Amino acid sequence: MSLFVQRSDVTEFRKRFRFIALGMALMFLALLGRLFQLQILETDDNKAIARENIVRRNTLATTRGIIRDRAGKVLAASRPAYNIYVVPSRLDMTVVWPKLVDYLGMGLDERTRLEQHLLALRAEDGKRKEQQILLKEDVSRDAVANLSTHEAELMGTCGNKPCACVELVPTPVRYYPYEDVGAHVLGYMAEVDGDRLSTLRSSGYMEGDRIGVTGVERAWESYLRGTRGWEKVLVDARGRKRPGGEGIIEDPARTDPIPGRDLRLTLDAEVQKALDKAFRGELAGGVAMVDVRTGRILGLYSKPSFDPNAVSGGSGKQVIRDAFRRLYSDPLKPALDKTVSGAYPPGSTFKPFTALAALEKGIIGPHIITQCKGAITFGKRTFRCTHVHGATDLHKAIAESCNVYFYTLAAEYGLKMDDISLMGNRYGLGSRTGLGVNAEASGRMPTKAWMTVHNGGHFQLGFGLNATIGQGATTVTVLQLALAYAALANGGTLYQPQLVRAVETSNGTVVQEFSPRVRRQIDVHPENLKLVQDALRSGVNEEGGTANRAREAARLVGFDMAGKTGTAQVSHHLARGAEAEKVWYYNREHAWFAGYAPTKSPEVAVVVLVEHGGTGGKHAAPIAFEAVRAYQELVRDRRDGGSAKSGTGAGATPSPRHPRPRSGGGSP
Amino acid sequence: MSDKFSDRDQNHFDWPLFIAAALIAVLGVINLYSATSVYQGARSELYISQVQWLVVGGIIAGVVAAIDYRHLERLGYVLYTFGIFSLTLVFVLSSGAANNVRNANRWIFGFQPSEFMKLFMVIALAKYLHDDPRSEGRTLRELLVPAVLAGAPALLILKQPDLGTATIHILIFLTIVAMTRIRWQSAALFFGSMIPSGYIVWNYVLLGYQKARVTTFINPEADLLHTGWHAHHARVAIGDGGLFGSGFMKGTQNQFGFIPDQFTDFPFPVFAEEWGFVGCTILVCLYGFLTVWGIHIASQAKDRFGAVLAVGATAVIFWHALINIGMAAGVLPVVGVTLPLFSYGGSSVMTMLMSIALVMNVSMRRHGSVPTPDRL
Repeated sequence: MSLFVQRSDVTEFRKRFRFIALGMALMFLALLGRLFQLQILETDDNKAIARENIVRRNTLATTRGIIRDRAGKVLAASRPAYNIYVVPSRLDMTVVWPKLVDYLGMGLDERTRLEQHLLALRAEDGKRKEQQILLKEDVSRDAVANLSTHEAELMGTCGNKPCACVELVPTPVRYYPYEDVGAHVLGYMAEVDGDRLSTLRSSGYMEGDRIGVTGVERAWESYLRGTRGWEKVLVDARGRKRPGGEGIIEDPARTDPIPGRDLRLTLDAEVQKALDKAFRGELAGGVAMVDVRTGRILGLYSKPSFDPNAVSGGSGKQVIRDAFRRLYSDPLKPALDKTVSGAYPPGSTFKPFTALAALEKGIIGPHIITQCKGAITFGKRTFRCTHVHGATDLHKAIAESCNVYFYTLAAEYGLKMDDISLMGNRYGLGSRTGLGVNAEASGRMPTKAWMTVHNGGHFQLGFGLNATIGQGATTVTVLQLALAYAALANGGTLYQPQLVRAVETSNGTVVQEFSPRVRRQIDVHPENLKLVQDALRSGVNEEGGTANRAREAARLVGFDMAGKTGTAQVSHHLARGAEAEKVWYYNREHAWFAGYAPTKSPEVAVVVLVEHGGTGGKHAAPIAFEAVRAYQELVRDRRDGGSAKSGTGAGATPSPRHPRPRSGGGSP
Repeated sequence: MSDKFSDRDQNHFDWPLFIAAALIAVLGVINLYSATSVYQGARSELYISQVQWLVVGGIIAGVVAAIDYRHLERLGYVLYTFGIFSLTLVFVLSSGAANNVRNANRWIFGFQPSEFMKLFMVIALAKYLHDDPRSEGRTLRELLVPAVLAGAPALLILKQPDLGTATIHILIFLTIVAMTRIRWQSAALFFGSMIPSGYIVWNYVLLGYQKARVTTFINPEADLLHTGWHAHHARVAIGDGGLFGSGFMKGTQNQFGFIPDQFTDFPFPVFAEEWGFVGCTILVCLYGFLTVWGIHIASQAKDRFGAVLAVGATAVIFWHALINIGMAAGVLPVVGVTLPLFSYGGSSVMTMLMSIALVMNVSMRRHGSVPTPDRL
């Protein structure tokens, strides 16, 4: 039998080949149609996606502006905080880890804690141990130096090859060289939370950004912040950076970040320090020192304070948490800016305004005399004085702070409550000053109508008596009172308080300078104002003046100041969070002193409030004297050494600010 | 024996077929060079071993083309049985062993039997149809044996699991069946039965990831990061090529690592991105020419065996090219099917070269008188 049996009956297939070939050709044609669609019709879309795949826009960090005081000293700047990251799986626990511990200078507790954490991670299955974890935040400069020099010893192992397992990552952190001095007015920074981020995203904020939360940091956020830059880089499918990109990345490939604007404040760091020093004997309160001629704020001090470095981060989340816990659990309320956010009864410091109200109304002349017998009975109530003043005229009533004299104005001479509140209002009391930094309390100048409404529809004349001496419903803020006394001192110009003197670029060019703004010119008769000013001078300088004893105790020679003490009674109720044995503290009066210096051509007005400090003459006046003395010495020093030491400030203050990228430089 | 065929061998060497195949192979190596240039080290040398495979395969192909295909007819069922045995062996060897690429047990001794099985199946079918000439239309019952001949390896391969190769087997079978005369009732019944059998395959045969590829194909944007990732970036790469392409070694989708398996399953997007629509048209036309030329050769075959053999071998190349480019272009689901002479891999290159060799074999023996079967 033959092998190749020929049964050439191919007729069955004959007609099919053409259809098969046609079918196959048509399918290829359809494929070409699809390729035409992708490569010709939709090529632009696909090209765009391909471009998007490999070009990533990296943001370039900007630097926040520096806040300086009026002499140029740095109040707030940015410094790099170094965080240590490790990859647990790559870290050699027997050789590299002990070295790392050594270089970082870890304590035993910290070491064991972190070691356990790392060992637990290394024992895990899965990818987590391959990822970088944050080991320690904000390590010391020594540790940074150690790690940089011994970098080679800290290599890990991936497979058999050595590779980096410890990384030092710098992140900018806000730095406040003066720590808790003036923390309230400067404010602090915090990470933007999710809720606010949704509204802030449109202005360029991103996750993890920090934003000013209080004080100048918040109010001037948009100036300080700066604008992020970006650059386009090539990345592959795994997200690794690739060099090159010419011809692939279209221009512009990079936009340099714009550093934030620097601020020049009106505050004086030395004054702030002096205020802190002067306040050392007291627990809580606030001081405002204002330039009488401009309304510029030289010092704004609130106690107790907090360290903005701790809350602004850098040293770790735990430190931030602890700082905030302290901030909000302290019954002395360190979070509250007592100079602008707290409203307090002004007590006797209000008397000059009552006197002006009466004088301007023409109800009294300067020489009417009231007999002070230590108290006055009005209706069923007895209104007390500090002691028996005897025959008292206006001068003595202010200088020696006689309550009876002022009660009499309301009780017998017909000084109305609305007259008093009107005069208060004219001096800016009872309304917000427009500082623009921190939530401002408006205070209150109660009118007859207001009292009626808030007393169930009944107005009692006794309210008016209380109002004359700044008690009852009358409240003011420290800053309001300082500006009002500045207006008393300068003859009647009420200034808008000014905190920021100029906005500057990072290289010192002034972008915007703010001149003093007058809120109102208060027209009182000069002779009436003169009467009050004389009385205020006597209050400090003459025998019997309420602040005179403090002045003598301070042994101030050639000290020239006018002012008024105040001892404001507080409503007797148990402060929340206070322990029972400390209730006496919360029942003590607020001690006030408000004044200006020098008496002839005054320069500064200062108001001191010591919360629950007791009598104003004893507790508030000395602080004011010390502050004014410090200011005057400062001015003298600056004037004397002015030519030699001009331009102190920025250079003199230790400022660990890391070098900012030169704008327009271009080299990454 | 050689003297007997020598005159025909030389005179009737099929140059168009050879040139088309050679052009594709050259383009394939060039493309492989670019595709693997993303890698450092050993993988960037793959194009060299591809050339080695082509050389070795070319020599073997020469031998296969030289030996009269009618010798294969005698060996038809032997080779088929050997193929089935190899496929079974894959199961035995791999059950428990872990020599798998992506959970698929396809290899023994460095080869994929499923690749060669296509040709063994074609030879077996050719032999069956050669021995079973009809003048009337066939009924389904009469197609049962060919169906079993195709179904057995397809099922074995599907269980490996390798959906793509199994599908190719079925498609080759259907192409060959399309040559035969079938009663229209039977054809209607056959296509009618596709629906329930499709249901059964979907629910009881296909594995999770295979189904996922199909669903991803139907709704590609649903799962862009996982199953759809390959298809998406392959499509983008093709589109990125535009009319003239971005130039050799300049396709960013490939150079930046966005084309997965760019030297095995997805060499086409690399080519398309670099050479554009013009390059793609040339390549598709080359495959198209190879296909149509193969069918043309089949139509001129002197016997039924040769005709079925040529159609079957052509179908191997056709379906591979169509499915591979189709899945890269996003018109077919992503199944692991290689692009003939473009994809890297010894088994694939060998199979494709053998297919071309078989077509060549038939081509060289279609002219002149039918040699009389004689002494041996």
